[in-house]
Amino acid sequence: MTAPSVAEPAVGPEQPGAHDRPGSASIIGAIMSKDAVAFRRNRFLVLITVLVLVVWAVVYQFLPDTVDETFSVGVVVEAGALPAGEDFIPGDLTATDGTGVQVNGYPDAASLAAAVEAGDDVTAGLVIPAGFAADIADGATPTITLLVPAGLPPQFEALLATAASELGYALSGTPSPVDLATSTTVVGTDRLGDQVSLAEQMRPLLLIVVLLMEVFALATLVSGEIVERTAVAVLATPASAGQFITAKMLFGTGLAFSEAVIIGLLIGAFGTSPVMILAALLLGALVVTGLGLLAGSFGRDFMDTLILGMLIMIPLMIPAVAALFPGAGPEWVKLLPTYGVVDVVVGASAGTLTWSQAAGPLLALAVWGLVLAAAGAVTLNRRVARL
Amino acid sequence: MGEPAVEVRDLSFSYGEKRAVDNVSFSLAAGQILGLLGPNGAGKSTTIKMVIGQLQPDGGTIRILGRGMPAERDAIQAGMGVCFEEKNLYAAMSAAENLRFFGRLFGLRDIDTDGLLERVGLLDRRNDRVSSFSKGMRQRLMMARALVNSPALLILDEPTDGLDPVSAIAVRELIRAEAGRGAAVLLTTHDMHEADELSDRVAFINAGRVLVIETPEVLKLQHGTREVSLRRRVDGSVAEDVLAIDAPDTAQRVAAALADPDLLTMHTREATLEDVFVAYAGRGLAG
Repeated sequence: MTAPSVAEPAVGPEQPGAHDRPGSASIIGAIMSKDAVAFRRNRFLVLITVLVLVVWAVVYQFLPDTVDETFSVGVVVEAGALPAGEDFIPGDLTATDGTGVQVNGYPDAASLAAAVEAGDDVTAGLVIPAGFAADIADGATPTITLLVPAGLPPQFEALLATAASELGYALSGTPSPVDLATSTTVVGTDRLGDQVSLAEQMRPLLLIVVLLMEVFALATLVSGEIVERTAVAVLATPASAGQFITAKMLFGTGLAFSEAVIIGLLIGAFGTSPVMILAALLLGALVVTGLGLLAGSFGRDFMDTLILGMLIMIPLMIPAVAALFPGAGPEWVKLLPTYGVVDVVVGASAGTLTWSQAAGPLLALAVWGLVLAAAGAVTLNRRVARL
Repeated sequence: MGEPAVEVRDLSFSYGEKRAVDNVSFSLAAGQILGLLGPNGAGKSTTIKMVIGQLQPDGGTIRILGRGMPAERDAIQAGMGVCFEEKNLYAAMSAAENLRFFGRLFGLRDIDTDGLLERVGLLDRRNDRVSSFSKGMRQRLMMARALVNSPALLILDEPTDGLDPVSAIAVRELIRAEAGRGAAVLLTTHDMHEADELSDRVAFINAGRVLVIETPEVLKLQHGTREVSLRRRVDGSVAEDVLAIDAPDTAQRVAAALADPDLLTMHTREATLEDVFVAYAGRGLAG
């Protein structure tokens, strides 16, 4: 080691300590810049951040982004089932925008049963028996055999039976005994031809996971300041505890929000209501920041922080997972802080949510964000004061 | 005479029921070094924490650089440099980045990091991350960090802890240079030799109270013995004679000893600061 040399003071004005006091923005900016460097140089944080962004973007590309709305039915018309001279011609019965019922012909019941079981080409099958048309003309009741795959819900089975009956009358050339005038009214946005794809259903989950990953990042940065007691050194300068905590909050919110925006752009989450989704993500980032401050304040070391982060992440992912199964989530899911993000992202990306409808979830999200951010700030302030 | 750089009056602080600092008073002028000495748990660190604004006193007043702490904390801290006992540096950042960051907290955008690092012998490591530094290197960087704002008040908590002897000497010279520049230096140390060598005055603290504040010389004279110890080789072993300085024949006996080829050592037996502390506190500093 080179022995330190004693030289004249290298810096400083003539009067010791005679400096202009720095402004609040300057101090907060300095702490945020330092946090950015600390984040960039933490291999674990960089790895999980980049990994999640890349993996999510790639996974999303492979998710189906369309829903096949065609209902395929296999039909076997046995010899002598139809009136003489009439043939069964398979085809698209409704043929509107690629939607409707696709009827495929099969030579015999065995091959149709195999196709239904395989589920590749047809969802269900009908076997029209010999003498079918003649029986109807005689006033008898012929039996159409309905082939359905195992596990088909009973209500679908009943619908298929009705459809089979109608199809039977159509094939026999005999009018149906019941003539109904039908009129359909779609409640809400008609998504016929534009059903929610798996990719769309996954968007909230992808966004929530990216947001929640930043609980780890912020908690790690905050607990590092406490464990290494660097916060004490910072607070021995003109920087106040308020400025220190404000810098952490701004950095955490900015980091979580910007990463959510990046993944949002990569997976095309903004749709026709980008402002609404951005608002939800910003408030979600505030929620995440509050949780990060709390986890960081309580964490005594890296493992502690990691475990606390996991315990926070798991329940907060439930609303996003529930969005994959519409109608399946219990009511209490709506009480979780991240529910608002999911609710707004699902509704806004589907284009079915108006601002007045989004106001409720956004307000709840804002309240959660403010409460958690305040709780995190108070906890961190107390922890720093005890150092 | 102007206002002292630091003036502490009747400072008190309790952790729950335990009185950690009990009516502590001292003052420190610009350009002077005051050593706070005392065993672990004596109240030194709690006193320092109140002086730097980390703890709010239960009672008493602190005036630093003409301002009241904690009411004018921000303004006071702008002129204060602190070297903590714990090595609380940002390990992921380089030496220069650490100094630049703390400079920005003081509102200084263009500090001479190279000059500061040269003063503590770390110029050649300026771009290396602190995580690769030894304990001694971190301690020297802590010293450099305490100087980024060219402080009017320098607070040093065990500043040579973990340093090798050569670096410790250099850091002591650095402290003297800062005092020579006009900075008031408040120093806590367990090293009695260091306190003796550096401090213009020392304050002994025990059980939260200041026992005495005086110059080391006065304390040593007050509590030392006026004796000279002579050690001579006698028949293959070492014999010691102790002479009272004030005795009438001491001059002749010292002169004779100097002429004796078997004389090994000759020392005055003045008190050490440790002896003085024991005399005041009835216990040693190690407790």
